[in-house]
Amino acid sequence: MADNQQMMCGSCGSSGLCGGKGLVTLKEGAWTNNPLAIQVLGICSALAVTNRLANSLVMGAALIFVCVGSNLIVSLLRKYTPHRIRMVAEVAIIATFVILFDQFLKAFYVEMSDQLGPYVGLIITNCIVMGRAEAFALQNPPMLSIVDGLANGLGYAVALAIIGFFRELLGTGEILGHEVLKEAWYTPNQLMILAPGAFFALGMVIAAFNAVKGPEAEEKK
Amino acid sequence: MKGSLYTLVYAAALGTACALVLTFAASFTRPYREANAAAKKARNILVALGVDGAEKMKSKEVIETLEQSVTEKELGGLAAYVYSDQDGKVLGTAIRFSGPGLWGPVKGFLALEPDMKTIKGITFYEQEETPGLGGEIASNRWRSQFPGKSIVGADGEIGLVIGPGDDAPNRVDGISGATMTCDKVQAMLNDAVKGIAKGATNDG
Repeated sequence: MADNQQMMCGSCGSSGLCGGKGLVTLKEGAWTNNPLAIQVLGICSALAVTNRLANSLVMGAALIFVCVGSNLIVSLLRKYTPHRIRMVAEVAIIATFVILFDQFLKAFYVEMSDQLGPYVGLIITNCIVMGRAEAFALQNPPMLSIVDGLANGLGYAVALAIIGFFRELLGTGEILGHEVLKEAWYTPNQLMILAPGAFFALGMVIAAFNAVKGPEAEEKK
Repeated sequence: MKGSLYTLVYAAALGTACALVLTFAASFTRPYREANAAAKKARNILVALGVDGAEKMKSKEVIETLEQSVTEKELGGLAAYVYSDQDGKVLGTAIRFSGPGLWGPVKGFLALEPDMKTIKGITFYEQEETPGLGGEIASNRWRSQFPGKSIVGADGEIGLVIGPGDDAPNRVDGISGATMTCDKVQAMLNDAVKGIAKGATNDG
């Protein structure tokens, strides 16, 4: 959290994020300050649900929904929320959105809900969501907060989808349940769908993001 | 003091608003969730009975198949589901069993061949055992030991043994690191099996 705050302040001064530029906010959340690959937040769920691409996509969608929703409400209420209980209020709002999504899955996509197990509910404790509410939505107008929630949700979702894609492909030889690598010549690498595979995949994604961003990001620090 | 009052009112209002939204969502989704639960139960009965393709059927199909070919009856104080083909020939019977697991209730179905001694299959449709350890009772790998086993031991004693021991027609391997769960599953299965034996003798 402390780190996050610092980065926010740094970007406030230089890139004019607080001036109301949606595009900058979008790029910041989804790319240059990607919550998963750059800030390395919310990795618990990223490790747990990425053994299948479909699971990763649904989890990404859940985070986008929760991030956008909670950022909007927190931002709308930011002038009325007593400072002392702002975090309690944030958690209540976030929990409401998470439970809404969980109920939706349980009612209409029960198999997906069974596969994701407790991890949908655990979005309540995902540091990305709370981090955005605390660091961004509390200080910014509703529209910009929506953009920020969308950007961070997208950043998380895309990173998750990349990890899920490679884990499912290498771990089972399938993509979204369809056979891609023929069993005749490809032996599925069980390691990739187990927990250690998640760490390898996440590490690769973090390395790739940082490599693409290159020395520019290093200099900023 | 004024600030405290405002804080209290704000917290109460926000809490109420959130609760209202969730109450509305819960009551809206209830019929769907109940239908899903019924389909899940039906699917578990069919899978335990070894019905072809039951794992991949759509919810609607599962309920239809169950209504068409499975009749419910009571056997030795347990709910039993008798599976028969179009001519009325009995192909198997699934018995509902339940009992305390290590962390919460465990519920499932044990299916027997028409001889009421040989196991056809087993499913667990509700369990909260430790994922990766006790939770493995629900895995295909562990469950696949059951078909073909008998609920009667070599010495004629009725009951199942879960855990290490000599090869016996009524013994299946336990799960390393999940001895407590296995003991509890063994106890609840034996309760059910004794009920079946009692019910079978009453019938005959």
